Amino acid sequence: MSTELSHDQFMRYSRHLLMDDIGEAGQQKLSQARVLIVGLGGLGCPVALYLAAAGVGQLSLCDPDHVELSNLQRQILYTDTDCGEHKVKCAERELSALNPHISISSYSSEISEELIDNQDIVVDCTDNLAARQLINSRCHNNKIGFVSASALGWEGQLMAFDFPAHSTLCLNCIIDKNSPEPMQNCSNSGVVGPVLGAMGSLQATTVIRMLLGYFQQHGEMQRYDGKAGRWLALAAKAKSDCLVCGEAG
Amino acid sequence: MINLLFFGRLGDFATQVPPTIEASTPAEIRQLLTADFPDLARELQQPQVLVSVNKMIVGWDQPLFDGSEVAFLPPVTGG
Repeated sequence: MSTELSHDQFMRYSRHLLMDDIGEAGQQKLSQARVLIVGLGGLGCPVALYLAAAGVGQLSLCDPDHVELSNLQRQILYTDTDCGEHKVKCAERELSALNPHISISSYSSEISEELIDNQDIVVDCTDNLAARQLINSRCHNNKIGFVSASALGWEGQLMAFDFPAHSTLCLNCIIDKNSPEPMQNCSNSGVVGPVLGAMGSLQATTVIRMLLGYFQQHGEMQRYDGKAGRWLALAAKAKSDCLVCGEAG
Repeated sequence: MINLLFFGRLGDFATQVPPTIEASTPAEIRQLLTADFPDLARELQQPQVLVSVNKMIVGWDQPLFDGSEVAFLPPVTGG
């Protein structure tokens, strides 16, 4: 991939280039970045759209599912005619049309540890604790940035970990890998589409912060209550007995 | 006194809960609420409910001091 911006790219990214704290140097960082998005559902769709539009150079997409009619209330990359198709193939088509200057790889499979390696950042847009824990552990061990979010009903949650710079405090310090899956999920309790959009946008913003070197709050948590219109910013502490990042890990 | 915040859908179960309480740990708060607010107490027993004190995620046995703000956060797992 060229390290110089073409005329078309100058026009495409002009709103970044106008900003002193992004500029051409920042745009080059984005164009050289490798980001894996795990889960192309309600969170993964806005994350992928914003990162592709921003010019993140190498996007990888991982999701084993097919598009279903019940997805279309919130999964904004897909249309009615996509039902039955692999999500990652539909997403790759739409993202390539949005930005042909970036490289997109798609994997219609469950997440594997090998897919995580060689990424700069992994964005967790999955819907289950087991996948989150697998990503957390691999990102921690390989010093890869990790941006995780989830949503349910009117609520969203984001956690972000700068593992290249910090070896303690991880997802498992906050949510123990041996705790059972909560009973409520989007399939049995529902979710408001724009809440996923808000959290996915926050994930994409966090990825860009990390890639540009502006992320300072390892382990930060953001909670959003869309019904009350309330945000809550929280911090967490490392656990010395954490099975992933602690002395026992 | 300890200031209470029931975030998100936990707030739907806590509309009648006083905004402050006397307690020494978050676990004690949960126990104190059991008699008068059994539905809320049941929600607080779910796995992955998080608790924070003064905006720091802590364990249920975290000592509390006068003026602490304790927030209870329901699990959010979908994507």
